[in-house]
Order: sequence, then C-alpha cells, then structure tokens
Amino acid sequence: MQEGDLRARFRRGDPDAVRSVYRSHGRLVYAVAYRVLGNRDLAEEATQQTFVKAWRAAQSFAEDRELAPWLAAIARRVAIDIYRREALRAADPLESVAPGDPALVASPQSAEAIYDVWEVRQAVAQLPPDEQEVVRLQHLDGFTHTQIAEKLGVAVGTVKSRSFRAHKRLASLLGHLRE
Amino acid sequence: MSASDNDRISYLSGETVESLTPQERAELDELLRALEAPGMWVEPDPGLEDRVVAAIAAEVARAPGEEATGAPAEDAARAAAAQGRPVVPLAPVRPARARWRLRRPVFALGGLATAAAAIAVALVLALGGSSRAPLQFAMAVTGTPLAPGAHGSATLTKTESGWRIDLSARGLPHLQNGRYYQAWLKNPAGILVPVGTFNDALHVTLWSGAPVTQFRAFSVTVQQANGNPVSSGRRVLVGIAHQIR
Repeated sequence: MQEGDLRARFRRGDPDAVRSVYRSHGRLVYAVAYRVLGNRDLAEEATQQTFVKAWRAAQSFAEDRELAPWLAAIARRVAIDIYRREALRAADPLESVAPGDPALVASPQSAEAIYDVWEVRQAVAQLPPDEQEVVRLQHLDGFTHTQIAEKLGVAVGTVKSRSFRAHKRLASLLGHLRE
Repeated sequence: MSASDNDRISYLSGETVESLTPQERAELDELLRALEAPGMWVEPDPGLEDRVVAAIAAEVARAPGEEATGAPAEDAARAAAAQGRPVVPLAPVRPARARWRLRRPVFALGGLATAAAAIAVALVLALGGSSRAPLQFAMAVTGTPLAPGAHGSATLTKTESGWRIDLSARGLPHLQNGRYYQAWLKNPAGILVPVGTFNDALHVTLWSGAPVTQFRAFSVTVQQANGNPVSSGRRVLVGIAHQIR
C-alpha cells in the first residue's frame, strides 16, 4: 500500500489502514501521551482519542505534510486536556493521591521535550535486543555494569562491550559524534 | 572516529571520563536524561491497537456519508500485485524540527521491497482462506444518564468457542459488596443474552454464545446479588456493534 493510498484509506476509516498507521505511529503517540501524563491508563486513553481526532481531521490534512509531527501535536494537545481534567478532578486529600498522579505533576512537558522522546526512542528501537536490554538496565533501572552482568549471567567485559557498542550506535544516530 | 568520540561513548556508557569539556558533558547529559525517563521505555498495551481500530470504526459508523472499505489485507495484496507495485507499510517519518541530528538510514527499497512483496503475495495466495482474519465487530460505548461520564470501546471477535468481547471503559465506579456489573447483548426482537459479570470495566473480557451478527445491541446494567438473575434495568453503558472485519 503506497503512502498516498494509505492516507486515503485512513480517511475513509478502513480498519486495515488504521492498523497500519497505528503500527507505524502508535508508539510515538503513546510515548508523547505518557511523557505528558506519566500514567499508563491515561496515556492509552489519550492515544485512542488522538487517533480518533486524527481521523476526524484527516480530510483537511495536506498530502505533503509528515504524519509523525502532526500526530505528535494532536497527542500532546489531547494529553494536556486529559491532564487538566484529571487535575481538576483531584479533590481527594493530598496524602491519598499516588505520587505518579497527573494532578501532582508540575506542568505538561514542552513540545521540544516531547520530540526529544521520539528521537531517542526511535534510535533505541534500532539497537539489537541485547544492546537495548543493557541500555535499559543501565539507564532506566540504574544498574552498574557488574549488576547487569550478574543479572544477565554474562561476564562484566561482555556487558561493557555491549554497552559501548550500544552507546556508539545511539551517539551516531543522534548526532553526538563529531566524525 | 576521533579519540574524543571514544571519550563521548565511554561517558555515555558509564565510564569516568575527564577529558570532556563542560559543554560536551552537558550535551551528553541531556541524552542520558532522556534515556533515564520512564516514558522512553513504556510500551502500550497490545490490545490498544484493537481499541483504536474499534473507536474509529464506531466513529465511521456514526458519521453520515462515510463508509469504511473494510478491504482485507489479502485483497489489498492481490490488488497491489495485479498493478505490479510493491506492498509497503507507511514509513514512520521524523518530526521536521529535531534538535538531535538523526541520520536517517537510506534503504534501497526498490528490488528488495518488490521481492518481499512478491513473496508476501505468493504466501497469501498459497494459503488462501486459511489465513483469513476472524470476523470482528467493534463499538464505542457511552454512559447513560445513570453514568453520564462513562465512555469506552469494545471489540467483539468470533472464535471457535464463541464471541470474545474485549471491553475497555472508564467512568464507572468499582462495584463490590454484592453489587456488580452485568453485560448483555440484545437482538432486534428484544431477546437479552447475558455475557458476563464484572466489578470494574477498565479491561474486561466477556464471552457470548449468541452470534453478534444478530445480537448487536450491547448494554451493561448494575446488579445486586440477591438471587434474582434477571436484568435490573439499571443500564449504565450502551453501544451498538458494527462489523469491521
């Protein structure tokens, strides 16, 4: 299916086209929503609303525009609306509100920060699975190379070389190398 | 690659590096902060794709003058093959404004994509009906005056065992202490079929032995465990299923 055909079929609401657009852009939309809301359920709600709004607005979407930034912009607006709704609804005593509740988040993330999420996420997705795992354990879980080696049952040297290769790829993809 | 690049990579991978300037360190710290953000690693629920498709199908069904084509993937592949063009998915594109200079790899799509498409089409044609996707309906569900804030969607998929109904709805309070929700399907003659009970509608899987092709009206009532299994009539959520596949 060519992109032009796909866009036309998406406008008509063809389920196959909707699936195709979701598979290529759903993670982006979800990441943007999660970045704003910090809550999985609300991010899913925002993702669903984003695609519905995109479908409603697809008739006026210019053929030469890129889908990703358009969807990301819709996702951000939808997520901020949900964020405000949840913030208004938070009438419970403060001590009963979970630390991750959107009502306690200071402010929605900027569009710039949201696009950064997309850039880095795309780069991470291009790493081989074993390198992704090391990067995830190192940065998200905060493990040292030694702890990662114990967890994965491999030598520390193996973890170090995987980590080096992974960060070399990331730095290259994200323009952090001078070459 | 220069020695400085090696230092940058070492710094990113957690080594102590003294040679970087404060400016270089700040740039790399920005990337490290992005990698440490939980949002970088979260994955949406696998069922979200079906819910998105269902929500748009429900919108299409409601919109006058709009009609989903519902063309199966096999038909699209055959049509593409007949026209001699490859079947390629929509490629994700990066935002126009990007602070990091992401270099997009250039793929030689021509011959490779054509060959892949030819193999895919051949497989589809060879498998014939065996690869056909199951019959599926979808609907948006909305709250009644008893639950005006409730909303959500559902997909209804035909399986060997019956119809699986994946419901996801918000705005309904958690029920307990003998009170529960009961879901129903109804046909045009008004015959009600119970399809399951639950306490919370966020992510529920229900089952129906009655065919959704005939029993398309969906509702959820609030029930009391008092020995009377009939519908209480206190409907809180309603929807009409439409075929999407």
